[in-house]
Amino acid sequence: MVPILGRTLILLALLIASAGALVGFVTGARPSGVGWTWTRRLAYAFAALMALANLTMEYALLTHDFSVSYVAHVGSRSVPTWVSIVSLWSSLEGSILFWGLVMGAYIAVATWQNRDKHPEYMPYAVGVWLACGAFFSFLLAGPAQPFATVLNPQADGPGPNALLQNHYLMVIHPPFLYSGYVGMTIPFGLACAALLVGRLGHDFIRPLRDMLLLPWIFLTVAIVLGGWWAYEVLGWGGYWAWDPVENASFLPWLTATAALHSALLVERKAVLKGWTVTLVIATYLLTILGTFMTRSGVFNSVHSFTQSAIGPTILVFLAAALLFTVVLLTLRVDTLAAEGRLETGPSRDVMFLVQNLLFVLFTFTVLLGTVFPLVVEAVRGVQMSVGRPYFDKMALPIGVALLFVMGVGPALPWGRATKEQLRGALLPPLIGAAVLAAAGLALGVRSPWTLVALFFGGFTAQVTLSEILLPVRQRMRSHGEGVLDAFLEAQRRGRRRLGAYIVHAGAMIVIVAIGVSSTMGTSKEIQLREGETTTVGAYTLTFVKAEAISEPHRQSARAQMDISRNGRSLGTLYPSMNQYESQREPIGTPAVRTSLTEDLYLSIHNIDTDTGSVGLLVLVNPMVSWIWIATAVMALGGLVALVPAWRREPAAVQARAPAASTPPEGAPG
Amino acid sequence: MTAASTPGATPAQAARINTRVLVMGLVIVVPLIAILVLNLGRDPHTVRSPLVGRPAPAFSLVPIGGGDPVSLESLRGRPVVINFWATWCVPCFQEHAALAAAARGLRDVRFLGVVYEDEEVRTQAFLQQRESAYPSLMDPEGKTAIAYGVFGVPETFFIDRAGRIVEKYVGPLERSTISELVARARSGGP
Amino acid sequence: MNAVALALLLALAAPPQRGASATGIGAPRGPPLSGAALDARTQEIGELLRCPVCQGLSVADSPSTMARNMKAQVREKLAAGYEQEQILSDFESSYGEFVRLQPTMRGVNWLVWFGPLAVLLGGGGIVAWALKRSRRDAGPGDATQTDPAARAHSDPPSRGALPDDPRLAAAVRRVRQLAYGWPDGVPPRAS
Repeated sequence: MVPILGRTLILLALLIASAGALVGFVTGARPSGVGWTWTRRLAYAFAALMALANLTMEYALLTHDFSVSYVAHVGSRSVPTWVSIVSLWSSLEGSILFWGLVMGAYIAVATWQNRDKHPEYMPYAVGVWLACGAFFSFLLAGPAQPFATVLNPQADGPGPNALLQNHYLMVIHPPFLYSGYVGMTIPFGLACAALLVGRLGHDFIRPLRDMLLLPWIFLTVAIVLGGWWAYEVLGWGGYWAWDPVENASFLPWLTATAALHSALLVERKAVLKGWTVTLVIATYLLTILGTFMTRSGVFNSVHSFTQSAIGPTILVFLAAALLFTVVLLTLRVDTLAAEGRLETGPSRDVMFLVQNLLFVLFTFTVLLGTVFPLVVEAVRGVQMSVGRPYFDKMALPIGVALLFVMGVGPALPWGRATKEQLRGALLPPLIGAAVLAAAGLALGVRSPWTLVALFFGGFTAQVTLSEILLPVRQRMRSHGEGVLDAFLEAQRRGRRRLGAYIVHAGAMIVIVAIGVSSTMGTSKEIQLREGETTTVGAYTLTFVKAEAISEPHRQSARAQMDISRNGRSLGTLYPSMNQYESQREPIGTPAVRTSLTEDLYLSIHNIDTDTGSVGLLVLVNPMVSWIWIATAVMALGGLVALVPAWRREPAAVQARAPAASTPPEGAPG
Repeated sequence: MTAASTPGATPAQAARINTRVLVMGLVIVVPLIAILVLNLGRDPHTVRSPLVGRPAPAFSLVPIGGGDPVSLESLRGRPVVINFWATWCVPCFQEHAALAAAARGLRDVRFLGVVYEDEEVRTQAFLQQRESAYPSLMDPEGKTAIAYGVFGVPETFFIDRAGRIVEKYVGPLERSTISELVARARSGGP
Repeated sequence: MNAVALALLLALAAPPQRGASATGIGAPRGPPLSGAALDARTQEIGELLRCPVCQGLSVADSPSTMARNMKAQVREKLAAGYEQEQILSDFESSYGEFVRLQPTMRGVNWLVWFGPLAVLLGGGGIVAWALKRSRRDAGPGDATQTDPAARAHSDPPSRGALPDDPRLAAAVRRVRQLAYGWPDGVPPRAS
């Protein structure tokens, strides 16, 4: 019964989404109240059907209904309940079902929010959203059907991949990633609507920015969560390996960040409309490319799935979407003409362009490197790899350049600036730059790139701080308010600006922390017997004993390591090796002692409980926890910038306008 | 970037074609799609061996249980089949019988096993349980496996009389495949 | 461990059985390494080799047996004085170009190294051209700078110019208050 129910829900979702897309496009071309009402209803219906389909699958997973094909694939009676719940997104078809859930939720919320706004744009936007929804429903109804009936269901199933049961991060990472990834559908629809209508007015750029920012926040957190997962779980001591799947999540983030910045110029100066729309559309297309990379089995990656019909189906959709985009832009981009003008001399305006250029360069480089083995195979017939050494070499100068732009950009004023203004803007932050670089030198940093990063980082830190405090200082001066009052009032009036600078602060810390942790760490591989001690850096490690632990789903061998530093005991760490029944190679779980300054990282290479010996990799990684903390700061900044989106202040402006009719103080001075 | 126009201009009604955008779009989109389509169906995990057609790397390894080292040079003049295997490898069980039968049937061909990432004790126990028609050699530190570019087990190399690798087969072998590839090794080339 | 001890150890450790040897990388071309330099170079070269049984990890990062064996071979060869390119070629002759994590300059590979540079230069050119065209469109001289109406239209005011209509002016001041934090929309006295 459950499989039939699930298949019916999906089929209905496909029909409703297709109908809704059609009605949306027709209403966009020929506006009508009835058309818009029905577009909205179909959108809500799609969301509801997707939610019901997901609930049905969760029900099947929790009741271990092995007549459902997906449950037979990943379900198991011997795993904890949370694993059963999480299995919804742990494997291919289920994750596409989950994609549908998130998409439905986003479409419903975005439609409801704009139900009586932007009437010329919205039907087109909803039409585009539902067209995307129709594609994913088609995937679910066909190549990725999770609700196929299993004719002779087994009594039990294999359970999800062992790697995924190893750590609780598996619970949070996919939902965040999908909330980011799938959420990019919304700004895509809005951008297409702007092109179809032939206008990107000042009123419409605001929702475009906001609906780009929300998924951006999720995606930022998700990417770093992925890195954290690799660090805490995989045991090789790093957090980013430029695996195709990692790049798949990173590429849309790069274009989305560029789009957020150029959208600011659209709002402020009504320029770069066509370019911004292109970036937003590129972001969405990169998510589709990313999902193709992850699921098609064409790329050699951590996430590889076996070849199936899903790959070609997504590729067809990607090709169609790309061609649709090219045609749409070719025919309509000229309608989004600029109404303002960018300053051309040294100014913040130009730095925005430089930033966009750097992000596009970064996107191109990562995409080229990821796709390149396929190119070489097609041209030379040779299989080759483009791995970490290449990407690190390329990312390093781009990252440092971005750090530079993040400092110099906000320091420069908008519009034309005099030489005195430039001097006054660019000279003082050199103090911060010198301070941070000197601190690095004092603490032993010798790598030139890291010193440069510290220098630019210090510059950026000072600029960001002074920009955050600028309105506060002005209010204190002109209104005589105290610091706290001035700050509260300034943030109330300029929350997006404040949020943006908080994000910059976080980003600066991330880049500097990556630089320091990559160049200032120590590592040691050592073989120890029980009772033996070794020193790494300032730490003394004693291998106390190896013990075997038996759990229902796995056998573990763990090493008890006593840690001390300068004679003071710092506790015990328990790195382990876990042997799951279904895997040949055991999976190690590293043990990490995290502190603000550095991480002590222990990973087992081999362990023998009989002879009492262990082979360990010991790493001392400085400043790694700063990466995680600074990402939270970035997310916080994004949230701060989003808050005004749901507050309305029209009454205040109208009430005051007639009263303030005294002659303006307008003397240009 | 588009040309600036007077503020508030109504959108163009005629379908003007922005050729710059069209060209740039196609330049990006067409090669991307082409590359992805061309690679559909290719399994990125099977890596073709560069050793096919080249001389087989030399080695001199001791058989399980001890004895004189067996060197590849000493087998020149006869076709050689080298099978990398391990006791923890399930497909290796499957092909073991086929290989043993082939070794008994094809007397002019020398069959050798090379143990991959396993312990001598376990391999001895395994072979005692199942009869072995040819010797298996221990490969300390996996040097021979690395030299032969082994990605996993089972992998089998078919070598002709002159010592050239004629074919590398990945996965469990069946009797028919063994015969076919041995025939190629006998004739000295594809 | 000094060079002498290492050499002795290697001599003693020469096993009666010989593992497969490299096909034709020839004699070592560089000086033998030892100690911290040996460790460091082993790590560096290990990071350039792909572990064949892992998903994209380098030989230096992977804990698998195969990777550790390969790393031991790298160390041996470095200690014997082989250079980086010789060692990488040796593994490449067994595993193919696949095993190199950093692309060489063969055939079409140059594209992956120079492509980004081309995009940087090309993109920079486009930005410069667009700025130049924008400057040209603005008209000769500094017309937009001295004409307050045109400035007020396109740039945020740094001089506090306001439109004539009082209701519009009040709205503009409110906007400035919200956007720039200027109290009552009046720019603060120059600092």
